[in-house]
Amino acid sequence: MSARVPHPRDFAPDDLDRPFWEACRRHEFLLQRSRATGRYHWPAVSDPETGREGMEWVRASGRGVVHTFSIIHQAFRAELAARVPYNVVVIELEEGPFFHANLVDCPNEAIHIGMPVEVVFDDVTHEVTLPRFRPRRAEGATG
Amino acid sequence: MAQLAAIVGVGVTRQGRSLGIPERELRREALDLALADAGLRRADVDGYIACHGGVAFEDLRYLGLGPLFSWSLASGGATAISALIVARGVLATGQATHVALCYGFAPSLFGARSGAGAGAGAGLGGFGYGYPELYGMVGPATSHALHAQRHMHLYGTTSEQLGAVAVTQRAYAASRPGTLGHGKPLTLEDHQRSRMICEPLRLLDCCRDTDGGVCVIVTTAERARDLKGRPIRVLGAGTGHNIRNWYAGTVYAHHDDIAPAKARAFSEAGIGLDAVDVASLYDPFTISVIMQLEEYGFCAPGEGGPFVAAGETGPTGRVPTNTGGGQLSGYYATGFTALVEALLQLRGEAGATQVPGAEVALVSGHGGNGGVQNTWAHATALLGAGL
Repeated sequence: MSARVPHPRDFAPDDLDRPFWEACRRHEFLLQRSRATGRYHWPAVSDPETGREGMEWVRASGRGVVHTFSIIHQAFRAELAARVPYNVVVIELEEGPFFHANLVDCPNEAIHIGMPVEVVFDDVTHEVTLPRFRPRRAEGATG
Repeated sequence: MAQLAAIVGVGVTRQGRSLGIPERELRREALDLALADAGLRRADVDGYIACHGGVAFEDLRYLGLGPLFSWSLASGGATAISALIVARGVLATGQATHVALCYGFAPSLFGARSGAGAGAGAGLGGFGYGYPELYGMVGPATSHALHAQRHMHLYGTTSEQLGAVAVTQRAYAASRPGTLGHGKPLTLEDHQRSRMICEPLRLLDCCRDTDGGVCVIVTTAERARDLKGRPIRVLGAGTGHNIRNWYAGTVYAHHDDIAPAKARAFSEAGIGLDAVDVASLYDPFTISVIMQLEEYGFCAPGEGGPFVAAGETGPTGRVPTNTGGGQLSGYYATGFTALVEALLQLRGEAGATQVPGAEVALVSGHGGNGGVQNTWAHATALLGAGL
């Protein structure tokens, strides 16, 4: 018995971030950027200097470092009881924005601040693909 | 504007885990207590601010009030001070003469919020975090844990130092009747043995929801002179919003956007930090106290943990802090806890934990936890004894 998988749209009042989530289904990691200031944003916003003008979605590196994290032991919702303990990490992306996610392919005890990470796409359902992060592999490594 | 406003009435109902009293009834009880405290009648109240969830349109019939305006104000734990700031503006521009700030909250009636599992989800609606919820990030403890983890990384802050906050405040509450911690002191060992909630925060790093009502009546200093009781001046106030740190990418390096709130409040009051006799800092989690002590300048960045562990927030420390137990060990009245304690201290009514000769109190509030780090809004108030 599993609970319904939440959909990104459950948490958004409009379609502003839809290009991001659609790209995830193609395993592409996008960020919103202001053409005028070059500043990257996530989630999508109006740029503090230029507003909504000239905002575009662009491919991003999908790389960053762990900025902070927590290992969650308390099941704050019944459907999370089977998952505890699990991690929530805040990734500081190379382009600047923070991205909240889970770290995978890494035991909770090994997570540390400053850890280099890269995005990996988890096709949770036919409709929902979530970007998560994993420890970054050495440059040039394959597989 | 400076020193124009004075708080002349305070009403605090019973505060507890499951009082079984509806929220508007809590507001009514608090209002009656505040009116009696101030020596005012219902008809004197010509301005009403329903704080944090109060329904401004429906309250008046129930409360028997007939003011010129009835507004709702919601800024989480910054609501109490924000309402005070609004009331000052109202008084300064002559819109009203006696403004009642009314708070009544009964989370027990709509299910656990930060409690364990029971009715999961029901009361946590306001504590989802947008997309981070897709990853299991739920509840204010999680968002504060992210700050605590970062603080430990940057400065070597320890779980024992977080525990020192819990133990210090529990010692205050232990001798304060009516608080959750009354008669129940804590040891550091108790803290260290308490179960992990979300690393690095343990159970005893977290406060608990309580039901309760608070009403504060604000008037002009001139009018306050004609009333009985012990008026408390609002010396200065200020606000800051963490969205500024979000844009700057420094949201985890700071506990709220305290700098502008502090600067505004102290410059208006015309005093420095050394004038502060007692501090009432918003404390949903132990890390909040440590980071605010640093941000307000009572100690250097990174020294909040050692500062508390050395007893500097205790009764004989440099700045006695949260002297009624705060939210961690006293009761959780969403920002009114801190305001009420400052008022008690300045009125000389803080009982066993009264700071002798306390004349200036620093009060903080933060809230609007609907984001991705600790909180969004911050508000500072400086209060002074007498007129």
